[in-house]
This record gives sequence, structure tokens and C-alpha cells, in this order.
Amino acid sequence: MQLRSLLALTLCGAFGGVVCAAGPAAVEGREVKSWLTRIHEAAGRQSFQGTFVVSGGGVVSSARITHFGEGSNQYERIESLDGQARYVYRHNDLVHTLWPDNRVALVERAQSLTGFPSLLQGGVERIAEFYEVSLQGNERVAGREADVLLVRPRDAHRFGYRLWADKSSGLLLRSDVLNERDEVLETSAFSEVAIGVKPQLDSVKVPTRKLDGYRVVRPEVRNTRLEAEGWAVRQPVPGFREVSCVRRPMESPISNAQEASTDPVLQSIFSDGLTYVSVFIEPYNPARHPRAMRTSVGATQTLMRRQGDWWVTVVGDVPPATLLAFANALERRP
Amino acid sequence: MSNVQSSGTAAAEQLSALVDGELAGDEVARACAAWRGDAALRGTWHAYHLIGDVLRSDDLASAPSRDERFLRQLRGRLAQEPTVLAPRAAAVVPAVRLRRRWRAGAAVAAGFVLVAGVLVVTQAPAPEPASRSMAQAPSPVVPVAATTAGPAADTGDAMLVTDGKILRDARLDRYLAAHQRFAGASALGVPSSFLRSATATPPQR
Repeated sequence: MQLRSLLALTLCGAFGGVVCAAGPAAVEGREVKSWLTRIHEAAGRQSFQGTFVVSGGGVVSSARITHFGEGSNQYERIESLDGQARYVYRHNDLVHTLWPDNRVALVERAQSLTGFPSLLQGGVERIAEFYEVSLQGNERVAGREADVLLVRPRDAHRFGYRLWADKSSGLLLRSDVLNERDEVLETSAFSEVAIGVKPQLDSVKVPTRKLDGYRVVRPEVRNTRLEAEGWAVRQPVPGFREVSCVRRPMESPISNAQEASTDPVLQSIFSDGLTYVSVFIEPYNPARHPRAMRTSVGATQTLMRRQGDWWVTVVGDVPPATLLAFANALERRP
Repeated sequence: MSNVQSSGTAAAEQLSALVDGELAGDEVARACAAWRGDAALRGTWHAYHLIGDVLRSDDLASAPSRDERFLRQLRGRLAQEPTVLAPRAAAVVPAVRLRRRWRAGAAVAAGFVLVAGVLVVTQAPAPEPASRSMAQAPSPVVPVAATTAGPAADTGDAMLVTDGKILRDARLDRYLAAHQRFAGASALGVPSSFLRSATATPPQR
């Protein structure tokens, strides 16, 4: 039922977009900043609870999301509603992922989050440099009035977005990822949401303390830099900057003895302020890396291939050509 | 000796309470464990059920051979059923072991329970990851455009997979999950990447 109404919603959205496009109002650089900052801050500060649905590439999945912003603290609880039961509890950068069926808990520090707000602050000017933002009027999403923003890339290295931001709070209610022909690759939207709910922190705090009977996995993630690991980016993709680089075990949280003995993988993350690309590098191993592969699911693209003695995997919500540019730009400096 | 006797009686009492549905939580587990390891208790278990059945209806007062025949036929039919999903080995092993032990013991005594056991075995594949990713699209989906891999993007050496319902490579899933853990906190706070990790591999036991 929910999915069907989402379908209707999406179709309305598509046509609505066409109608509104008649008189788009381009937004100045300063305004771009205030719009995006408003959306970003609402996601952190507001307390809300709702059902979130993502559809793209023939896959529909939904989750129940509860977010509490209290002072400088953020608490979040995400419960997947499809497939195997999975819960994510987040307190600022500490993330617990629980699989109750398997009795496994994955505990991680989202190391990259710490420097994150400044990333957006510093990045918004850059966003205006690589994306053109225009206001496309108002629409209703999940029973709420929303401002519609079209975020169009200025080059072919990234996808476009259509964003629906709640009028009163700024919270993002829906987001479409668009390809170069403005076709929707993926839609994420609240099917229903309550904004301004009273924080009930125990619902997020308590489950992470009750891990009796759980196997708790804490992968060791070490910060590093691409150059320090002997790599250079010869021709950076325009607009993307390295925002994080870590060595992480890839076997996690799967405890396959054979896999567990593999070396950690280097993961370097690049961002243009709106989207991210991960570049994974590891020693080539014919047994584990049988063949090069490209995949496309919804907006997420992946490229895996061998480069000399190395196996390179690039993942991101960007056009396939951009992933290729990332892979080609890598250079080994012994 | 008297000690053994009394513990046997206690076990029988527990079993009686189990039949009546009066046990809770770990008591159930304990009673079942005792039942599993003791052929005499299994006989008692069947007797209790038979008593209950006869009290409810005379039609249920049947010779054990009838149950046995029924079971044999059920097993035969089950064996003829086409296998839709391959059970994951790890999940099935305990059930299979149980079944063998039952067979070795008083198969008839355990008759009703065995039926339940068999059904559990056939349902065990439900959490199989393959079926999970196939089940991600329960209904027709919003029209979504495919990403075009322009000629410029053609790496020549790579296979392109665009179907969201493909059985994904477990390795690929891990890269996606690692990517998503970062992007999960994207600039605009869209947790869509979390959801896309429909792909996120659940940990093994």
C-alpha cells in the first residue's frame, strides 16, 4: 500500500517537475549556501520519526528512522523493514549495527564524521562551482509542504538531484538522483514523517548497552593518507577532494576464517561536497579477484579491475565515466 | 537410586507442564533438552499426548502404526516436492541431527513433533541471502532509468551488470557497505545509502 502510494507520488513528482520547470528561479551562490546549509542542519538538529523508502534499479527498500537532535548531540535509530532484520543505533560518531537474527553487533566509529560539518561549510562555495541550483516551486511530500530545488551538475562528472525540503523545518523529505537526461535513477523519500517529536533517548541508548549473547565485532580502522601509502592521484577529477583515507579490514563483519586473514584494504574517500566516491586499493590476488566488473544499482556505480599488482575498486553515486577517471588517475609511487 | 527416581519424576512433571503449555522461557528449553536425551521421556511424551487426544476425541485413539504410516507418506511426499531454495548448510545441521536422533529413538513416539521438525527444515532457507536480495522488490517498481554507460566509460575489460536483482557478489557487497558507512552521513543527511545497503551483507554466525 505504502509502495503503491509512493509510486503515485513519484509519478506526480515527475510531472510536477515538468510543470514547475516552466519558471525556474536560479539561485545565487550565497543562497545556494543557505539552502543547502539549512537542509544539512535540519538533518542534524531536528527530532523526527518516519518511514523512509528508497527505490531504484528495480529494488525497493524501506526503513523506520528516528532521529533526535539534542544540543550538540545526535541520536539515531534506523530499523530496516525489508529483508533480514537490522538495526542501526548512532550516537554522534559511534555507530552500532545489530543483526538480531545472527546475534552479531558491529561497533564502529564513523571516523570521517568528525570533520564533517566543516566539510560542508568549506564545500558549499565549491558546490555552487560545480552545481547549478534553481528553485522549482512548491510541492507536497509525505503530507507536508516542501520547496523543490533542482541541483544540476555543471559538468558530466556527477549526477543531478531534485530535492524536496520541508518548508517549516528544512528537513529533506525526498531526493531524486538524475542522470544526464534528467531521468530518475533513484528516489528516496519519507512516505510519512513526524517532525519535532519529543526525544526519547533511551530508545537509542539502551539497546546498545544490552549486547548479552551478541558477538561484538569492532573492526580496527586506521587513519592514513594516500601519499603515505605510496599512491598519487595524477589527474584529479574536477571538484573532488580527498576527505578521508583509512586502512580497514574488509572481512568485517563476516567471520570467514579464510577471508579474515586477508590484508587490510586502503579506502580513500573523495567528495565534491554533495556526493562521495570511495577508492579501495589492495594487493592483487587471482584467487580473490577473478575478473573485472562494473555494476550499476540505482544511482550507485561500481568498477572493479586489476591495475598491475593491485586490485582497484571504485564505488560512488556518480556516472560510470567518473569512476573510470578515478581509477585511471591512480599512480603507484614506490 | 531414589534420587534418580525423583529426578525422573520431576522430568515427567516438567514434561506434563510442557504438554499443557505451562512452561516458560528456559524451562521449556530444559524440558526439551531432557526429552531429547531420554528415550523413556519421549515415550512418556507420546503417552501424554495420546491421553490428551483420547480425552478430546475417541477418533484420535489410534494405533501407533497409523502415525507411522502417516509420517512415512508425508516424508515421501516431501521428498517429491521440488526444491525451490537450497537450505544453507549451517542453518540446517542441527535440525538434521535432531531428526536422525528421533529416527533412532522411538520414531513413532516423536511423531507429532517430527512433523513440526520437518516443516521447520523446509522453511529454514528463508534467511538465505540470495532469496533476500531477490525479495527486495516485492512489487512493481517506480519507473527508473538505467544508467547509460557511454562509450567513453567502456573499460573494455569489464562486465556490466545493471539488474538490481542479480545475485550479488559477496565481495562487492562488502565494498558497498564500507562505502556506505561513510556516505551514510551524506551532506544533506539523506540516509538513502543505508537503505541501498539492501546489499549490506549480514554477518555470518
